[in-house]
Amino acid sequence: MARCLGGDVSAFEELYRQHAARLYSLACRMLGNRSDAEDLLQDIFLLAYRKLDHFRGESTLATWLYRLAMNVCLDHLRSRAARMGQVTDSLDDDGRGIRAPAGSDSPPDRALVRLDLERGIAALPEGCRAAFLLHDVEGLEHHEIATILGIAEGTSKSQVHKARMKLRAFFRRTPSRTATGA
Amino acid sequence: MTCAECRELVGELIDGTLAPDRRADVQAHVGVCAACRSLEEDFAAIRRAAAGLERPAPPDGLWMQIAGRIKSDPAFKGRTAARPPSWTMGARWLAAAATLVVVVVALAWMVFRGQGPGGGQEQPGRQAPPATRQSDVASGGDAQLVESVESELRLAEGHYEKAIAGLEKIAKANERTLDPQVAATLQKNLTVIDQAIAESRAALGSQPESRPAQESLFEALRRKVSLLQDTIVLMNEMRKGDQAGAARIVEGLNKS
Ligand SMILES: [Zn+2]
Repeated sequence: MARCLGGDVSAFEELYRQHAARLYSLACRMLGNRSDAEDLLQDIFLLAYRKLDHFRGESTLATWLYRLAMNVCLDHLRSRAARMGQVTDSLDDDGRGIRAPAGSDSPPDRALVRLDLERGIAALPEGCRAAFLLHDVEGLEHHEIATILGIAEGTSKSQVHKARMKLRAFFRRTPSRTATGA
Repeated sequence: MTCAECRELVGELIDGTLAPDRRADVQAHVGVCAACRSLEEDFAAIRRAAAGLERPAPPDGLWMQIAGRIKSDPAFKGRTAARPPSWTMGARWLAAAATLVVVVVALAWMVFRGQGPGGGQEQPGRQAPPATRQSDVASGGDAQLVESVESELRLAEGHYEKAIAGLEKIAKANERTLDPQVAATLQKNLTVIDQAIAESRAALGSQPESRPAQESLFEALRRKVSLLQDTIVLMNEMRKGDQAGAARIVEGLNKS
């Protein structure tokens, strides 16, 4: 940390090696594609380098980086939505608007379930997608997610609940490929 | 407990965050209500599947691009300018030199990876010695460090030279990928750095103990390595056809 602040790029590289994979996979799933995630991962670490002296140690470094990464991703999604004239947060609670995977007669298959889960996650509204990724994929706790997303702990809980309900509705459309096969 | 209440709490049941009395209530309801049990099973399956999702790895060259952007960033220049001179100069340069060997190997792999068996046979990184030996030297006791600073400086210089030779070899093998104008800029920068290296060596020759002369030699060597690294990343971007990435690196080169 002190070495990073002293301008030592190799110390900052250690920080990159520790956190890049986590932040990259989060960005891939938040943005829905790898090439945007690569660009934003660069922005995230450049920003982290610039802001490192603002890190006060009130949260862990991992939480601080998650927060920074989420802000960069959400800003990007909002500007992308503005450019494309899309409203990203318009899905109803019954899961309408999530396109169910194509029907298949094959037995439940782990790879297919994973693929469907990725599709289901990509179709979630960004607020509950963020909370779901941090909680169920990254394994963080609600109080950490509250810090990262700047929301109340109760909001984090309800967003994760909402995401799970939508994903369940998504899987239930195709009985042959339910999540219970995983 | 009603189904509506149970639905709200079943997520916390599978997360294991319910208080014991609440947990007993929810479990009792789930035990007798098929609809709520099915919800519990589905939530648990979603959570399991989510936790088992693969973590895609960032592409190998990404750090080099980030490092390139950091080095041309005002925040970096501010921090390196503010860095006080250190009496452990030898140890620091040695550590930096040791990590270089790893960087050369990584760059060689990155550049030659996509080139088929012909390109793959020539791996300049192979000439690099194992990194563990140098870090052993770098982690010695303080007193010992002071005594052996001079020999370490020589050792560090040797590592720099090895790294530079490796990088030059990679760059040479790929020079056709570069735009002639960019290549000319690079060559001009290299000439300036080589001149600085020659001058520092001359100064060290007449005053071997001079700390400023040692520092300026290592600074020049470091600049040369950094320029060669940028060159190789640039070649890689050009081959991949990543114009935006290449443009960023060229921008950085012009600033340095
Ligand atoms: Zn019930």
